[in-house]
Formats: sequence, C-alpha cells, structure tokens
Amino acid sequence: MFKRLVLEDSATLFTLVAFITAVSFFVTISWRALRMKRPQLARFENLPFATETPAARHDTDA
Amino acid sequence: MSDRKITLEFNDKVVRQFMLASLIWGAVGMVVGVLIAAQLNFWQLNFGTSWLTWSRLRPLHTNAVIFALVGNMMFAGVYYSTQRLVKARLASDFLSSLHFWGWQAIILAAAITLPLGLTRGKEYAELIWPINVAVTLIWVVFAVNFFWTLAKRREPSLYVAIWFYISTIITIAVLYIVNHLSIPTSFTHSYPVFAGVQDALVQWWYGHNAVAFFLTTPILGIMYYFVPKAAERPVYSYRLSVIHFWSLVFLYIWAGPHHLLNTALPGWLQNLGMTFSLMLWAPSWGGMLNGLLTLRGAWHKLRTDPVLKFFAAAVTFYGMATFEGPLLSIKSVSALAHYTDWIIGHVHAGALGWNGFMTAGMIYWLLPRLWNKPLYSPSLANLHFWLGTVGILLYVAAMWVSGITQGLMLNATTEGGTILAYPNFLDTLNTIRPLMLMRVIGGGLYLGGWLLMAYNVWQTLRGAVPVNGSIEVFEDESGHAQPRAMGLVGSFLNPPVLFSVFGVAFACVWMFGSDFISIAGLVGTMVCVVLAYAHYESRGKKWGDWYDRLLISTLPFTVLTFLAIIAGGLIQIIPTVVAHNAASTEDRKQVPYTPLELAGRDLYVRDGCYLCHSQMIRTLVPDVLRYGDYSRLGESIYDHPFQWGSKRNGPDLARVGGKYPNIWHLRHMEDPRSISVGSNMPSFAWLLTRPLDTSTLVRKISVQRTLGVPYPNWTPEQIMARVDTQAQAIAADLKTAGASVAPDKEIIALIAYLQQMGRFEAVSPAQPGATK
Repeated sequence: MFKRLVLEDSATLFTLVAFITAVSFFVTISWRALRMKRPQLARFENLPFATETPAARHDTDA
Repeated sequence: MSDRKITLEFNDKVVRQFMLASLIWGAVGMVVGVLIAAQLNFWQLNFGTSWLTWSRLRPLHTNAVIFALVGNMMFAGVYYSTQRLVKARLASDFLSSLHFWGWQAIILAAAITLPLGLTRGKEYAELIWPINVAVTLIWVVFAVNFFWTLAKRREPSLYVAIWFYISTIITIAVLYIVNHLSIPTSFTHSYPVFAGVQDALVQWWYGHNAVAFFLTTPILGIMYYFVPKAAERPVYSYRLSVIHFWSLVFLYIWAGPHHLLNTALPGWLQNLGMTFSLMLWAPSWGGMLNGLLTLRGAWHKLRTDPVLKFFAAAVTFYGMATFEGPLLSIKSVSALAHYTDWIIGHVHAGALGWNGFMTAGMIYWLLPRLWNKPLYSPSLANLHFWLGTVGILLYVAAMWVSGITQGLMLNATTEGGTILAYPNFLDTLNTIRPLMLMRVIGGGLYLGGWLLMAYNVWQTLRGAVPVNGSIEVFEDESGHAQPRAMGLVGSFLNPPVLFSVFGVAFACVWMFGSDFISIAGLVGTMVCVVLAYAHYESRGKKWGDWYDRLLISTLPFTVLTFLAIIAGGLIQIIPTVVAHNAASTEDRKQVPYTPLELAGRDLYVRDGCYLCHSQMIRTLVPDVLRYGDYSRLGESIYDHPFQWGSKRNGPDLARVGGKYPNIWHLRHMEDPRSISVGSNMPSFAWLLTRPLDTSTLVRKISVQRTLGVPYPNWTPEQIMARVDTQAQAIAADLKTAGASVAPDKEIIALIAYLQQMGRFEAVSPAQPGATK
C-alpha cells in the first residue's frame, strides 16, 4: 500500500504535500484572522480585564 | 431572565495549593539538577550507591522539573485564569482536590521509584506502568473539571488562552497514551509495544510534543492572560494570537523526527521533521512578539516591577530557544550538535528562561492577590531575577561552547578525512571539564534565586489570610451564555468541515490508490476544491458565520484542535508502523537476544546506561570512522524499548560487542578509571555482588514473543538452562582472566548483553515495489 511513498524516490512527494497542506492551513487561518472586525477584536482583547482582581493595591510598583 | 445579582466566589484554594507545590517541587528538582551537573565533574558525588548514581537521578531531575515544577505551575495558572476568563467557579471542588492530591501522589511515587531503578527506559516517559495509569486518570479528572467549567461559563467568547489550554489537554492525552502503550511483565516492569525505529519515532513524537504541549502551549496561554494583567494593557494583536495559535498547534506535532536526524530513521521522515521544525520558527516568534509588544507603553515599569522583569525575560528566552530549535533541526547543524552539550544548552535556555521565569513572574503576581498581603521584599525578588538571569547566561554559554567544542572535536578528521583527529573520546571530556563546572555554577546561581523566592513567599505568608477572588453575576446566567454556539450536529455538518473532509479523503485516495482508483481520487479532489471555492464565493457569509461561532463553541473548537494535532502523528506513525518493520529492512536484521542477554539489557535500561551511551552510529563519516559501520534500521528492530540514545557523555556502544574481553567490561563497571583514566563515569560495583533476578525472565520472553520478537516456544526449564550455560561460560572466562565472580551475579548478564552489541543477521534488502 505504501510502496510509492516509502521505497521509491517519489517519497519526496510526501514532503511537498505536507508543506502545501501546512501553507494552505496557514493562509486560511491568516485570512480569517485578518478579516476579524475591530469591535470583535476589542471585545476579545479585554476579556482578561472583565473581572476585577482583588488586592491590586499591593502591586510592587504602586 | 432574573435581574438578581449574586456574588460568585472563585475556587482559589486549589490555585494556592498548586502554586506552593510548584515552588517546593521546583526546588527539589533543581537541587537534583545541580547535583547531577556536579557529578559529571566529580564522579565521587555518585557516592557509590545505585540510587544516587547520575543515570538514576537524571530521570528524577527531568520528571521533577517538567511534571512537578511546570505541571503544578500550569495547573495553578490554568485554574486561576480560566475561572476569571469564563466568569464561572471551577465546576467541582471535589475534582479540583482530587486533581491536586492525585498529582502530588504521582510525583511522590516518581521520586521513590526512579532512584530505585524502576523505569520504562524512555525519556520523560520513565515512570512505571501503574503510575502511567494514575497519570491518565488524573489527567481525565483535570479534563473533566476544565471542560465542565467551560460548559457552565457565563462569558460566551473563548479567549485565546482557553484555546491553548484546550489544545494542551487534548494533545497531552493523545501523546501520553500512545507513547505509554506497554505490556506489563510484572507490577514494576513493562515493555513498550513499539520497537526499534517505530519506538524511536513514537518516543520523539511524544518527547518533542511534551515540550510543545506541556512546556509551551499552556505557558503561552498563561502568558496571554498574566502578561496583559501585569502590564495593564491588552495583548498587542489579537489577530496575531489567532494565527499564532493555529499554526503552532498544527506544525509542532510534525517536528519529532528532528531528534533523529542522520540516524537510521527513514529519509522521508527526517525531511518532514526538518521542514516542519523550520516552519515552526514563524508562529513561535509570532507568540514572542505578541508577548513582548504587549509591554509597549509599560517598559518603564520594568525598572521597578520584578513581575514584568520576569515576564519580559521569559518571553525573550522563549524567542531565543525557538530560533535555536529550528536552527538545530537543520540536518547539517544537527550533524555537529546531536549528542552534544549544545542540545542541553538549548533545553535549559527554554526550561530555565521560559518556564522558570514565567513561573516566578506568575508566583510573584499571584502571591499578594491570593493572600491579600504585599510581597515581603520586592528587593529580594529583583535580586532573584538578576541571580537567575546571570545563572542562565552562564549555564547556556557554557553549554554552547562545550557542545560546539565536542562536536568539532568528535567530527574532526585529518589525512584527507580518513583518520580521526581526536580518536580518544576522553580527549573531548578533558577539554570541556571547565565548561561543565561553569554549568554547575550557573545552575547553582539559578537555584539560589529560586530559594530566595521560596524565602520571600514564606515570609509573605506568615500571618497572611488566604482570600478567594469573586465577581457579581446574574443569578441564572450560568450555562445560558452561548445562544449562538454550535451544537453537536452543527459542529460537523457545515460547509467548511464537509468540503475539507471530502477533499482530504479524495486526496488520500489519489495518493495511496493505484491506477484507476488513483485517477478517481485526483478528479474527486479537484471537484471538491472547485465546489468549495464556488460555494464560498456565493455563500461567503456562511463560512464567516461558521468561524465566528467557532470562537464561542467549545466542542467544535476542541474537535478542530484534535484534527489539527492528530494529522502529523497519523501521517508519520502509520506508514512507519506498517512499512518499517522486520519484514522490510535494509541488509541487516537484529538477532533476538538470548535470555541472559535480555536480562542484561534490562539491567542496562534499569541503570540508565542509555542516558550516557548511544547505540546509533549515524550516516556521517566521523561516526563511522570512530564507531564502525553505520547502524541499519533492521539492527534494532526488535528492541523494546529502542536504545538509540540521545546524548553521548560516553562513546557510542552500537558495535562494542567483541571489541574488548569480558574482563575489560568487568573492571570498567567496577571502577571505570582503572580502565579509562580521567573518566567521569560512575562506578557500578554493585553489579558484581547483586544476584541476578530471573524470576520474571520467563514472563519477559513470553511478552517479547507476543510483541513479535521471533523467540522459539521455549519451556521455562529451557530458558533457565540457556541462562545457566551462557553465564557459566562467561564466569569461567573471567576466572581465567583473574576475576572470581559467581555466574548468578548481575555483571555476568550485563557483560553478555554488551558483548552481543553489533551482532546482526545479513538479509536480502527489501526491493522497491515490494509490499508488506
């Protein structure tokens, strides 16, 4: 079943296909990320600040 | 919906517990680390006892710093940040408590069993099988507690840190289970189901991704929460964090083979490992830049705030290590660096710099918040930072110089490349001794800083009362915050998923089919791509809508993460298991061990010899000149576990069999310096007096036969008779050479094993086009 991929020179095809897959994946995700809207991004960015953290007055640089 | 608000108190007790556990176990792990570093300079520090020998303590050090220091810290950070990000208390106090105490029990079990020599013989996977079961159970407890908390959340959106935690939980489960598949031979011993090249690939698929998904992704999640909190600024680019996450999670899995470059691992796997490791540089630096640039506008705080000092330095060391890693993954660089101290330097830049400093920053940030009391001494915390930084720089610089020196010396040839310039391995050891001492000092400084933190924490906690964080929430909001989340059906029956699944399926048919089926696969793939594009153009909003809903839906997100991480593993492991086995080797195949040799090999594994000695002569001229013909894939095809090794503190042993007489090996084990002057190898004198335990040997051979090793169906009497005959012969030979050792001692079995190394059976190589 794996004869073409393992014992012949066409094994290099494997690397090429894996590379194309990875690049496709990366391009798709990048496209989605770049299309995210500003309000949506702002909401996500501020999630860590949505809950007050007690004892902030004890910060060392205060 | 009710307008009534209630106060929701977070479970910060378990956060405090994990945090303190990380601090304490971290000190233990680092003390062991400094000790073993010192042992390499001063062999006397092995104290002539088996359980303090370097090769027994090294796994204790690695397990302690990975699973006890980073593990406990990770759980503390995950539980603290998740509760606040999803606005829900941890789902179950019982599971939280079980998670904590179960994990500490596992660590304690490791601390006892590893020095006793109870080991599986695989790096970062040494723990014996009953402890593996416990780890799996506790990990399931963690997963249930985590996902149940997500199910009860009041905040619909999943912040990027949560994505990293999800990927960690899913991937570690897959990695751990597969690499720990074993058949027990007794309560304290087992053989892994994989052998030789298969075991090598599975081990480093696991090993590298233990780095990725235990030491990196959860800490990145922690970075995405705690750095913005400490800097009081949102993350620099949320867009970048999305790209960073998906590309990191997808690419990391493939990188395992970069630990096996220039070995008997098939070329296609080495190329995949190298290529993907190089590509990994991009998302890693995306994360680094995101972390560092989050500090824009807050750089002035670094002057006085130790927390931000630690975080900034941690992210910088992360960037350094993730540039060095891809560099080392280039085959020609690996030819120099593999088996040398450069790899140790690379590991510790990441471990001390990234993991250690993120831990310290997180502890200093959490301490006043969890106990409502200011830090006892910010000055001591700043001193800790500088001690730690100087320690890391000394450590890493020493190892860079040592590693490159070793590599250059061991690879140096003269006379037109036909003779080694430094034929004696000990030449390199003597050259790098001062650098190894520098490493001890660097590690000692880092440990000193850590102990300062422990003191600072202790003084802060004295008289302090623990407090739990809380928020105000609407009474009946729990679990109802995800109106647009995708259910089970929506997760799988949507255009992007369907087109991807069918497209990949047709692509597999095209690649693996023959003749007509292959053409059908190609046509199917093209049709899928065209239809997907047409659908996207006409119904683009549905695709965008699917993605937006993905960001608030735990189940499909988890499934997609699982698919991203499983792809690399399947594509690398399945062909290796199916095609690279005993039936299709090159021109040599391993001869199964005799019963005595098998017993000896298990002593070799027990005492951790594989940690200093490799058994893999690479396809490089200097290796072949020094150690003999390069190692074939078939020569270790029956080794459960594989013994290729990953470090050469001593020479490679792949063809040491027959090179020296039996008496040489006996004297060498008894007192290495009587044979090799200046050697730093510990003495293994107890092998000469301890009787060999053969009580499980019959069971061991039975298990080996089950795993495919072609042993005849011997009776127990035949097995013991073979042991006796071979042992008597070796003992008799030793006696004529002047050493009186009873044939039932462990040293006899070990000598039997050592003397067969390099033995093989010549076979006809598998022909191209031949199928299994």
